[in-house]
Amino acid sequence: MAQENAQFDVIVVGSGITGGLAAKELTEAGLKVLMIERGRNIEHQKDYTTEMKAPWELPFRGVGDAELYAREYPVQMLNRHFNEFTQGHFVNDAENPYQTGEDTKFDWFRSYQLGGRSLTWGRQCYRWSDYDFDANRRDGQGTDWPIRYADLAPWYDKVEEFIGVSGAAEGLAQLPDGRFQPPMALNVVEQALRERVLAKYPDRLITIGRTANLTQAKGDEGRGPCQNRNICARGCSYGAYFSTQSSTLPAAMKTGRLTVETDAIVEQVDLDPVTKRVTGVRWVNRNTGARARATARMVFLNAGAFNSVQLLLNSRSEAAPNGLANSSGVLGTHIMDHANAIAALAMVPGFEGRTTYGNRPTGIVMPRFRNLDSLDGEGFTRGYSFQGGALQGTWSRGKRQPGIGAAFKDDLRHPGMWTMVLVTFAESVPRATNRLKLSNKTDKHGIPQLEVTFAHGKEELAALADAKREAGAMMSAAGAQVIMGMDQPNNGGTSIHEMGGARMGHNPATSVLNKWSQAHDVPNLFVTDGAQMSSSACQNPSLTYMALTARAAAHAVELLKQGAL
Amino acid sequence: MSASAPWGRREFLGAGALLALCVGVPAATVHWIKLDPEDLPSDRQRALMAEVADLVIPRTDTPGARDVGTGDFVLLALAHGLSGTRAPMASGAVTPALAPLTRRDGSLRHALWLERTLDQASNGDFLRRSPTERVAILGAIDAAAMARGAAWSPWVAVKGLILTGYYTSQTGGSRELRYELVPGRFDPDLPLSPTDRAWSSDWTAVEFG
Repeated sequence: MAQENAQFDVIVVGSGITGGLAAKELTEAGLKVLMIERGRNIEHQKDYTTEMKAPWELPFRGVGDAELYAREYPVQMLNRHFNEFTQGHFVNDAENPYQTGEDTKFDWFRSYQLGGRSLTWGRQCYRWSDYDFDANRRDGQGTDWPIRYADLAPWYDKVEEFIGVSGAAEGLAQLPDGRFQPPMALNVVEQALRERVLAKYPDRLITIGRTANLTQAKGDEGRGPCQNRNICARGCSYGAYFSTQSSTLPAAMKTGRLTVETDAIVEQVDLDPVTKRVTGVRWVNRNTGARARATARMVFLNAGAFNSVQLLLNSRSEAAPNGLANSSGVLGTHIMDHANAIAALAMVPGFEGRTTYGNRPTGIVMPRFRNLDSLDGEGFTRGYSFQGGALQGTWSRGKRQPGIGAAFKDDLRHPGMWTMVLVTFAESVPRATNRLKLSNKTDKHGIPQLEVTFAHGKEELAALADAKREAGAMMSAAGAQVIMGMDQPNNGGTSIHEMGGARMGHNPATSVLNKWSQAHDVPNLFVTDGAQMSSSACQNPSLTYMALTARAAAHAVELLKQGAL
Repeated sequence: MSASAPWGRREFLGAGALLALCVGVPAATVHWIKLDPEDLPSDRQRALMAEVADLVIPRTDTPGARDVGTGDFVLLALAHGLSGTRAPMASGAVTPALAPLTRRDGSLRHALWLERTLDQASNGDFLRRSPTERVAILGAIDAAAMARGAAWSPWVAVKGLILTGYYTSQTGGSRELRYELVPGRFDPDLPLSPTDRAWSSDWTAVEFG
């Protein structure tokens, strides 16, 4: 045993979607856990300071101060959920710099705070299927996943039941059904388009987004059902969407075995060169600059895919000169982010007399239909899917309309036309050239910054082109009038699904982690956030990170009991 | 605030003060930048923006843009570059007429542009033209700028900010339109009558609509 006198059984680095879950699983298994968060504390309910405000109660009416944003939030301001209500839930870019490699445009959206991006995430929860876990083996790109759907299915069950996912069971092999709460409803236009598209394309299904917003209370956990406000990123005092604060943190705290350290930027994981075990971590207090360390019998990295990789790279030592757990040399490589573009924006006539009430916090999804049992994609072997929805315009359409005066005002008084939006999310192929490394530049604490080198490849571009064609054809066939569509990807990072860099694989010579999210080189080190991903599928990945985290935690507990760590 | 609140240039040292005037927030509580003195709106620009906003959204059976102080919001928004108004203009957009109205950073002084453009179209002082003439003059500028395929015009951003100012005010958002922060449920299919008002609290529609 490396750490007979360790202060903690486990140190969990990061308190976001996977860090919070790791803390919950490990404390509930009886372990004493220290969870370290680099950002400030945010207390559930009390600290959601803008949650109930109206636009007219904010200085810039919710739009925000563009001058401030250009200076201090030039990347975060590009996030859909970033505005004057939510800006406190995103990092200040000026204070948290990163570098990009040549020809790289990468928008890295970050939330450094207790709860991390669990407070600001899009909440879409999709299982992966064997089409996804077999993808690397099938076309030879990347390294084969050492697991398949059957390995993860029970963990998906467990996570879904705990976090609460609403969705409709559709019986699709490529998007397995889960343990769902009742689905939110398609609106009148989405329902009609579902029927019309299905009549013409039997393999293409519009279904309601599967989202971590409760449709039924989880009263014993103090969580109420969604109020259909759709302002989740402000924080939700009802606890209706899954976040660390609403869900995993209270569960972990209840055990009495969790210690939380905030404002602590972990800069190094310590390795005992003799035992080849990690012994603890070191951090710097972001406010005072004071250095501190803690010891533990094992370490879970959940700092977010890129920051977990940064931490491993920065934990180089004589015994691990290329970075911790990097005997393979692949640490930092094969990073991914879904290529996204608006495939179709279409007007949908015929529903002028219909409307909705309430703000549903999810859209629709059309699951992957390409390259399933036959390779039918032109120039690409992976998948894509659409997300989006139908909406009815409000006053903001006036920004594009001619007119002034009473008639113009009267026109804007009433709802506008219905439009349908389909956004492509195309699978990102794992490539060695897309990678992270430590920059020569440091942050204000002297910690090396990350440098991101990333570009989408021909496969992603071919998928986006196919998606644009198909989305346009489907909308036209369904009686909608296509206004525009795009097939060029937005910048890397804009799907906010950045992942990879410490990939899982069979072979220690070509991968960082084994099938238990455990470092090949260091048995008491686990990486269970997005860094572990060997491929990207085309689904939103957080649910899979969570299932892998719960599975890894159970395995780690078992190993600890056996004395194997 | 009332649109006729006094505006002494000497009393206001920067956007913080402008902000305080607009929304009634103490200047010390907001993040403000020092404005180039040339960006401080003149009394006439304040009067002009209030009038222009009111021509776009006049008082009807509900209050209009002037009643809710929209003009000052637009000036604040322009000072802080909302809707990209502090970004350098594309080189192709800088016509000989616009060149003298740009800042050193290449962005356009929209308030000054609006003043010059309206006065020029009025052959004098826009504010001294009759109400009917003002509608015609602004209407022509709007029609030209918003026409399909029209060349870039600063009016598009100014008009957008007028609408933002009005419909995010309490009156515009909750009296002219409907506002419900906590709907509590989602009804996917309801009949819509011609008199039903739109929702200012439909955030997705505001963003994409």
